[in-house]
Amino acid sequence: MTWSPLQNSRAAMIAAVAAFALASFPPTPSAAQTGEIRIGAIVPSSGPFAEWGRTNTITLQMLEEEVNAAGGVNGAKLKITIYDDAAKPAQAANSLRKLAGDDQVLAVAGPLTSSACEVAFPVANQTGVTTTSQASSKPGVAAANRPWAFRNTVDEAVLAKVSVPYFQKTFGIKSVGIIYDAKDAVSTAIATRIMPGVMKENGVQVLNADNLLSFNTGELDVSAQVTTLKSLNPAGVIIGADYSQAVTVLREMKRQGLTVPVIGGTPLISSAILSAAPEIPVVAPATFYATMDQASAKAFVAKLQPRLRASSGLPPEIEPSMYDANIYETVQMYIEAVKSAGISGKPGELEAARTKVRDHMTNLKNFQGLAGPISFQPTGDAAKAFYIVQGQNGAWSTKERGCSAAGGC
Amino acid sequence: MFLQQLVNGLTLGAVYTLVALSFSLVMGILGILNLAIAELFMIGGFVGFSLLVSGYPIPVALGAGMLAAGLFAIVIERVAYRPLRDAPLVTPMLSTLGFSIILQNIATNYWGSDPLQLPGYFLATRFEAGGVQIGAMQLVVLAATIILVGLLALLVRRTKIGRALRAIAENRDVARSLGVSANQLTMVAFLLSGLLAGAAGVLVGMHYTAITPYVGVDTGLKAIAVMVVGGVTNIWGALLAGPIIGIAEVMTVAYGGSQLRDFIVYGIMILILLIRPQGLLGEARAEWSQRV
Repeated sequence: MTWSPLQNSRAAMIAAVAAFALASFPPTPSAAQTGEIRIGAIVPSSGPFAEWGRTNTITLQMLEEEVNAAGGVNGAKLKITIYDDAAKPAQAANSLRKLAGDDQVLAVAGPLTSSACEVAFPVANQTGVTTTSQASSKPGVAAANRPWAFRNTVDEAVLAKVSVPYFQKTFGIKSVGIIYDAKDAVSTAIATRIMPGVMKENGVQVLNADNLLSFNTGELDVSAQVTTLKSLNPAGVIIGADYSQAVTVLREMKRQGLTVPVIGGTPLISSAILSAAPEIPVVAPATFYATMDQASAKAFVAKLQPRLRASSGLPPEIEPSMYDANIYETVQMYIEAVKSAGISGKPGELEAARTKVRDHMTNLKNFQGLAGPISFQPTGDAAKAFYIVQGQNGAWSTKERGCSAAGGC
Repeated sequence: MFLQQLVNGLTLGAVYTLVALSFSLVMGILGILNLAIAELFMIGGFVGFSLLVSGYPIPVALGAGMLAAGLFAIVIERVAYRPLRDAPLVTPMLSTLGFSIILQNIATNYWGSDPLQLPGYFLATRFEAGGVQIGAMQLVVLAATIILVGLLALLVRRTKIGRALRAIAENRDVARSLGVSANQLTMVAFLLSGLLAGAAGVLVGMHYTAITPYVGVDTGLKAIAVMVVGGVTNIWGALLAGPIIGIAEVMTVAYGGSQLRDFIVYGIMILILLIRPQGLLGEARAEWSQRV
């Protein structure tokens, strides 16, 4: 068999590619070899929630720098390995398996969406790794995946019980119309399961209860839905959507002259939504927002915001989101667990160390979060303070304070 | 409400028509489905949008959006189509699909995933008659659609390039023997489709006053349905099918339930494929796999 120059160059190219691949993906050294405390994170740095994922990444990088500059954790360096799930459930589950198996992390922060959590949380139980979502708020997602699944968030059903009475009283709402993003799990839960019931409890009629209006993630044209909404003549509108989709609905409402107050869930909270239709009041619950008064929240915003604004691919006016605060708090809780349990990261102790982190989270009481103390309930959801905020004329302002735990926060 | 929904349906149909024209230009001439067109539409929209937000006038934004999409279309032709034109039919289609994902990633990395919004005054000008409202930008989209379809029809029917494109579509071997340059004409077809997609992106962005990197997928799929319903070989087919699909979608939302709209839109497409595969205005063609 003879080789032509072309075949030789191809062989050389294949060898070069193989060498590059090996160099790019070296075997993962154990934590003890590198003296590292390893934490994993799953965020959507691409896809429809890329903004949240990218700010989460910068938040975690900042935390990693802060901790290591202060001497690390128990003398070991903190290493946060971050994977992008693009808000895709299967990708989130695969990332969790990789973090648990290949990267041998102690615990994981993420995934962000409820859709991803519903698929990734069972993997947390299989692999025995504490996994805490920074954003999922669809009812029951952590409760269905005990004991390793947690959410540093408040269930939307709990939030609606405070936000709806405020909405109803403030604007004298007697009737509402509902529109929602049918492709998003938490948006669908808010619009189809939570809000109709809570509105009824508060004496508000849902005018299209038998024919809820929906659209799909990514659709720009919601003119037909808004025309139908307008024909119902509602006093208020419920938007079940994340802020990027809600912008489309608000703009269409403004175009068609439907300028009634709007209410939704936590996914509405963002600075972008404030410029969509500034004259339309938007009511939503939040556990954190960038302009809140608490000193710890202000300090967090002061150090993170310049980093976010200096990052390419993020809007120049971006502010830290509730989910940045939640993921920052989550990793701080893990660090506290490592410190209090005296975890060293030695080989052979990983399984025991993971159990210690889980037990620490399960029994956590009054952890000092950015907006107040945080504990975890038996459901795996956080017991923390939340705020009903109203966005209008370009700014959010706090209107009510609530607590997700029966005994108060 | 019916008349208002009719206006909504016509505007939505105009949007689909503009994108469908881009698809049918390449499909009609080359017999391949360039799946990256949906993202050229998005890229054109973002470029135009960025300029509008920076204060440039509409004609500059429109021209820049068209130019950007046209340039990307040429890159797609050279990188994703030309090297693969002798491969099985599905191969260039898959490579354009790959390119569409790359373009979406470029947009997400450069502009971010947050919706880019135009100032409120783009929404301000509205006309009302008999309880029916129509925005100034809706009228612009409707007028631009009719003008662009007319110009494209003129180009294909009356110009030297158009005749060459039709010759290639009819019989590439005979066209080549008569001196028509297949490579050059393929590039022209891609360029024209890119320019159209870019124009559609800017116009649609101005109409909705918001744009995201994910706008191409849904609009692109509906535009393919419009192309199939109208007939791939007839440019006027898209002008007929766009409003049919747009109005069907809007009326389903208004009177049938919004969850049914995709069922109706793609149901119409499948029905047409079953009973009149060449589309409403298309001509039956024996050899669909013909490519340059």
